[in-house]
Amino acid sequence: MKHLNEEELIALYYGEPAEDPDARRHLAQCEECAGSYAELKQDLEGIQAAEAPPRGVEYGEQVWQALRPSLVAYERPRRSWFGISWKAAGLATACAVLIALGFVGGRYWERRGTNLAKNAAGGANAQATQRVVLVVLTDHLDRTERLLVALQHADAGDAPELQSQARELLASNRLYRASATEAGDPALAGALDRLERVLAEVANDPDLSEADLDRVRTQMNTEGILFEIRVLQSRTADEARATVHTKGATI
Amino acid sequence: MDGNDHSIVRAVLAGDKDAYGALVRAHSTTVFRVAFRIVGNEADAEEIVQEAFLRGYQRLESFELRSKFGTWIYRIAVNCALNRVGKSEVDAEYRHGEENDPEQKTVQVAATGADPERVLLSREIGTAHEQAMQRLTATERTAFILRHMEDRSMSDIADVLGIAPNSAKQAVFRAVQKLRRELAPLRGNA
Repeated sequence: MKHLNEEELIALYYGEPAEDPDARRHLAQCEECAGSYAELKQDLEGIQAAEAPPRGVEYGEQVWQALRPSLVAYERPRRSWFGISWKAAGLATACAVLIALGFVGGRYWERRGTNLAKNAAGGANAQATQRVVLVVLTDHLDRTERLLVALQHADAGDAPELQSQARELLASNRLYRASATEAGDPALAGALDRLERVLAEVANDPDLSEADLDRVRTQMNTEGILFEIRVLQSRTADEARATVHTKGATI
Repeated sequence: MDGNDHSIVRAVLAGDKDAYGALVRAHSTTVFRVAFRIVGNEADAEEIVQEAFLRGYQRLESFELRSKFGTWIYRIAVNCALNRVGKSEVDAEYRHGEENDPEQKTVQVAATGADPERVLLSREIGTAHEQAMQRLTATERTAFILRHMEDRSMSDIADVLGIAPNSAKQAVFRAVQKLRRELAPLRGNA
């Protein structure tokens, strides 16, 4: 059997399943590999964890007291007389009213009634959709931020992972960019457009080297885009919170 | 503890904000420790603890009750710390151009110990370790800290960093290889 390489020795040190099941046996028999392993062990044992400054027993309480004023209680589910939540009861009542309105309107005032119903449903749907879009957009921006942070520190070894994430984000980014343009939101559309170019550059390079990553970082100003994304994140988070007044926390 | 944590989460989601205090009290020290190991700074680590628990509260509805709350908040804290490290690395790059004297980073050791040479050597080794760690990428550094110092499995690390298990393994391998290269000159002294 050939000698164990450094990666196999590291895997053995950390007790990871080595790719070659005979590695440990080889280590016991091969003086050269045993020497290399002993050296690795000595190196790694020399790297001690930085000792975190001790926290007293009251530390958790201090954290809680500092945090508590920033939190808004989640909405307590309220119950009606019959054990049905008020929200469900309200929804059922609203449905009943809508059905009744539709029936009466359809019978006596067909054209106008239909339009009214459409408008009412449209308004409710628009609000719900806006909330969902904001939540999903926030998630997209979070994922994008993580990718950009990784890109800032990546080397060639990280390229496959970065590319697969960039490909995933590229498609959704196009949709958000198009929606933002249609909705007349130039700040969001512009940032997503700049982001899209970076994603496309990372996703479509067949051989993404360290030099390519450096070029993307400097020429496409990923640091600046990261900043823009963080600004947008806080904006969308605020908007999302504004659509749901009763849940979550304020910072 | 997990069952208890889960019932506390349910209570918080049912509107009992103060129940969250029990979770904060139970997990603050662990979160502080990992945050400190990643950012290497007490003040930043304390801010990360606050940020992690705040984000945790905001996302509590997405917490799945089959997971452990401790692992979940730990993951949030590592991500907050990673963001912080990423930010300060950018700041450090800006500062770098203004530094005229790279020798400022060397340690001047006062001869206060019983064996000044040994104290000097030990501090130099500590500084070299710290500098070698700073030269790793944020992902490599975090993966190494989680594996080597926090004794987390590769799958845990992959989960915490949101990367594939093989990428987590490679990040740990690269970190060890780089650290060994950087610290090779110290081998004779250690």
